[in-house]
Amino acid sequence: MSEARVLDADVGVIGAGPAGLAAARRLAAAGLRVVVLDEAPQPGGQIFRQAPPGAPALPGGEPPSHHAGHELLAAAAALPIVWCAGATVWDAQPGRLWFERDGASWLVRCREIVLAPGAYDRCIPFPGWTLPGVVTAGAVQVMVRGFGVAPGRRALVAGSGPLLLPTITALVAAGVEVVAALEAAPRWPALRALPRVLGNGARRREAFWYARRLLAAGVRLRWGHTVFACDGDGRVQRAVVGRVTADGRPVRGSERTLAVDLVAVGFGLVPSIELGLRLGCAARHDAVRGGHRLEVDAAQRTSVASVYAAGEICGIGGAQVAAAEGELAAAAILADRGTVQLGAALPRRVAAERRAADALLRAFAPLPGLHALATPDTIVCRCEDVPLQRAQAAAAVHGGSARAIKVGCRAGMGPCQARICGPSLQALATGAADRVMDLPVVQVPVKPVGAATIVDAPPG
Amino acid sequence: MVETADLVVVGGGIVGCSVVHQLARLVPRETRIVLLDRGPIAGATSGSSMGHLMVTPDDPQSYALTAASVRLWRDLQARGGGFDFQDTGALYLADTDEDAALLPVLRDQFTAVGDRAEVLDGRALRSLEPGLAEDLDAALFYPGDAVVLPMPACAVMLQEARACCPGLDVRPGCAVVGVDRDGDRIAAVRTEHGAIATRTLVNATGVWAPALAELCGAPRLPIFPRAGNLAVTAHWTTPVRTQLLEVSYLRFAHGAAAVDPTRTDDPGGHAVNVQPQSNGSCLIGSTRQFRGMDRTLNPQLLRRSLQRAIRYAPGLAAAPIVRTWVGLRPYAIDKHPLIGPWPPVRGLWIAAGHEGLGITLGPITGRLLAQQVVGVPCDVDPQPYLPARFCA
Ligand SMILES: Cc1cc2nc3c(=O)[nH]c(=O)nc-3n(C[C@H](O)[C@H](O)[C@H](O)COP(=O)(O)OP(=O)(O)OC[C@H]3O[C@@H](n4cnc5c(N)ncnc54)[C@H](O)[C@@H]3O)c2cc1C
Ligand SMILES: Cc1cc2nc3c(=O)[nH]c(=O)nc-3n(C[C@H](O)[C@H](O)[C@H](O)COP(=O)(O)OP(=O)(O)OC[C@H]3O[C@@H](n4cnc5c(N)ncnc54)[C@H](O)[C@@H]3O)c2cc1C
Repeated sequence: MSEARVLDADVGVIGAGPAGLAAARRLAAAGLRVVVLDEAPQPGGQIFRQAPPGAPALPGGEPPSHHAGHELLAAAAALPIVWCAGATVWDAQPGRLWFERDGASWLVRCREIVLAPGAYDRCIPFPGWTLPGVVTAGAVQVMVRGFGVAPGRRALVAGSGPLLLPTITALVAAGVEVVAALEAAPRWPALRALPRVLGNGARRREAFWYARRLLAAGVRLRWGHTVFACDGDGRVQRAVVGRVTADGRPVRGSERTLAVDLVAVGFGLVPSIELGLRLGCAARHDAVRGGHRLEVDAAQRTSVASVYAAGEICGIGGAQVAAAEGELAAAAILADRGTVQLGAALPRRVAAERRAADALLRAFAPLPGLHALATPDTIVCRCEDVPLQRAQAAAAVHGGSARAIKVGCRAGMGPCQARICGPSLQALATGAADRVMDLPVVQVPVKPVGAATIVDAPPG
Repeated sequence: MVETADLVVVGGGIVGCSVVHQLARLVPRETRIVLLDRGPIAGATSGSSMGHLMVTPDDPQSYALTAASVRLWRDLQARGGGFDFQDTGALYLADTDEDAALLPVLRDQFTAVGDRAEVLDGRALRSLEPGLAEDLDAALFYPGDAVVLPMPACAVMLQEARACCPGLDVRPGCAVVGVDRDGDRIAAVRTEHGAIATRTLVNATGVWAPALAELCGAPRLPIFPRAGNLAVTAHWTTPVRTQLLEVSYLRFAHGAAAVDPTRTDDPGGHAVNVQPQSNGSCLIGSTRQFRGMDRTLNPQLLRRSLQRAIRYAPGLAAAPIVRTWVGLRPYAIDKHPLIGPWPPVRGLWIAAGHEGLGITLGPITGRLLAQQVVGVPCDVDPQPYLPARFCA
């Protein structure tokens, strides 16, 4: 059985993405003892995901935002921050974080907590989406940037939102041929949002960088199109693509088949709020920012004293928002400790970043019509292998709540605890395409850990 | 126009679904039965429990009831199943000499009622279950127990009921908020979505049965919530195929409770119960604690129950725990379920109070209640279970 260990700190930060890094840097610079916990093997989070040490740099360079990321990483690395990579946080109370690392059970005792656990990929089930070779945008980043492997040779990229761009460039950099890049959203709302987005200097530079990369690679984004289905013998070999209406409904008769060995799908992100819910933080649904998100005040304080949140957990917004919020959360901690005054500039900057991010997200509003892609035997819950028709039958007998569907057909009971299927499940099972998922009920462990880890957990 | 129903069953857990199932088989085809639940069907205790179909040899009376119910479960399985029925039997394990001494006693209890069970030595035990700890040198195997998944079983029961009574109306998300009486008889049920006139109301609301009884003008029923923590592992991690129980479980679960159920400072206790599921995950229980309707997990009890489970099946140490939760067992003060009429209020029937055996006892409960409502002879003597025992 594993040994029990305890770390004492002033602040425990969960997540080493831009939000967590920015918070940790500011707190450590102010002299506080900071512990940063992240599941990943390297700090950086999703966007600044780092290659393993010694791996060759990917060709094509990096978008401007990553330079900010390197600076953040370097600055944080120079400070006396305690980094715990490969650390899965599985329980939390105000001032207490329990995590598992290499099979050992650890406890962080701290005064404040900064929650910066980021987001998940939103998955929209369509026939064949569970075939090997069909991967999420997030998985592409992990494979290409985290492990330096090319996940295929001929790829289709489909989905919605700005994350399609880094997915395409990562694949191109890895030497994968991108045969089609499909954005499901209609073009006009995005073009209309453009002036707002380009009005922000950093976002403008980022957009131009991606535009140039796509041009150089000869990849053209097709608007109003998406993947309808995938099939193949044991792994994906073909993808059926076609046109969708302005709300995402597939237009039958517009189908075309592509020969591919990789399909990367990204329909946006969903905030990872489980740890916040476990701590008792108030959350609310926010259709623009990806679904249920934590509520924070103008200085990143959650509804629970001494618990702060920053980045995607407060709603999808991108790396710039995340970094600004992380810094603000740190400033709020220092102010709440009476060390320094908070001031108005930082909260103002965060609010402005959020407004710009919201404007962009509005152009890629959820497309409920995409739920019509699933057929009766399309798997809706991968963990428990539940096809749509079984989820529908469950909803008809047991009721349309998340709990009812779950008890009726086990959807959402598996290792991912509905992180993957939850956002679409109720809409699919009840047939009400725009039905909002229920707020999840989070139990310990917040992420799966070995039974021995729970047994050996140092008492808070 | 006021909606009417011949029979209204309140509570869509295993007990209510079973009552509907058995009623539908006995009443005329055109009978209008309405099943109401405030939440999902099987969303409360029945969706938070394990699915051990447990024949208890404690005494001939409970043996007769549990064995009769498990036979009904087997019939339902033979007619098509659909609820992950697994004929695993149960292994009673002993960790101390005192507990080991109980194994032959338990075997003799099974033999005394004409059933059989087998005391295994260490070798036989490990050839049956190689995943058990090396140092266990005795156990009792009882082949008559099985496992089901209670939630789809509720759906199967309702489906069979609908085949008998096509007018069956199942309404999840419809809470009963009041009950009207006409003198001493039930006249109507008021729900959050309107009233239903009826002369027959079945209270199958588990731990909420006392609250519903009060809405009917009946005094508080002596049923108390007894919390139980459970944990479930990831798929394909179970080190065993048979259900495991510490032999002390029987004493712990069914023996005289040393504590007063109205107490709020019950420290609680646990006895290992490990239940492999058909997907290779396994449920790990089980704890018992009286602390009102509180459904927050007790971390100390969880930790101890996991530790004890690992002691018996060491492979569980590395099994990822995917989720934990708490269910509330409806504990009747004299440890017997309440199945039958509540004489002071005509038309009010009760089927509740099954503590940790409600999944096992669901079918026979439904049958005994339906047989009493319809007025035909009962399969098993209902006398010990009549709620009237609490009418002073
Ligand atoms: C696949 C993907 C690609 C993206 N690409 C871009 C891009 O190119 N440009 C852009 O602007 N935005 C991109 N984003 C959005 C980007 O993630 C966010 O804008 C930004 O990273 C948010 O920062 P964050 O700190 O909130 O979360 P993240 O960067 O996601 O960091 C959160 C970290 O917390 C860790 N974590 C979460 N839960 C736990 C736990 N229980 N225990 C321990 N550790 C935990 C995670 O491992 C992760 O490292 C991308 C997002 C995803 C998912
Ligand atoms: C941890 C644990 C493990 C267990 N393991 C086993 C086992 O292995 N084997 C076994 O046989 N038993 C087991 N049990 C016991 C079993 O789960 C219960 O005895 C059984 O589920 C009780 O069923 P019920 O239908 O009476 O209650 P419930 O399932 O709780 O159903 C009552 C229903 O009434 C509804 N309701 C309440 N008030 C109202 C109202 N006013 N209006 C409308 N609806 C209302 C509720 O929403 C609920 O759905 C276990 C229990 C627990 C907690």
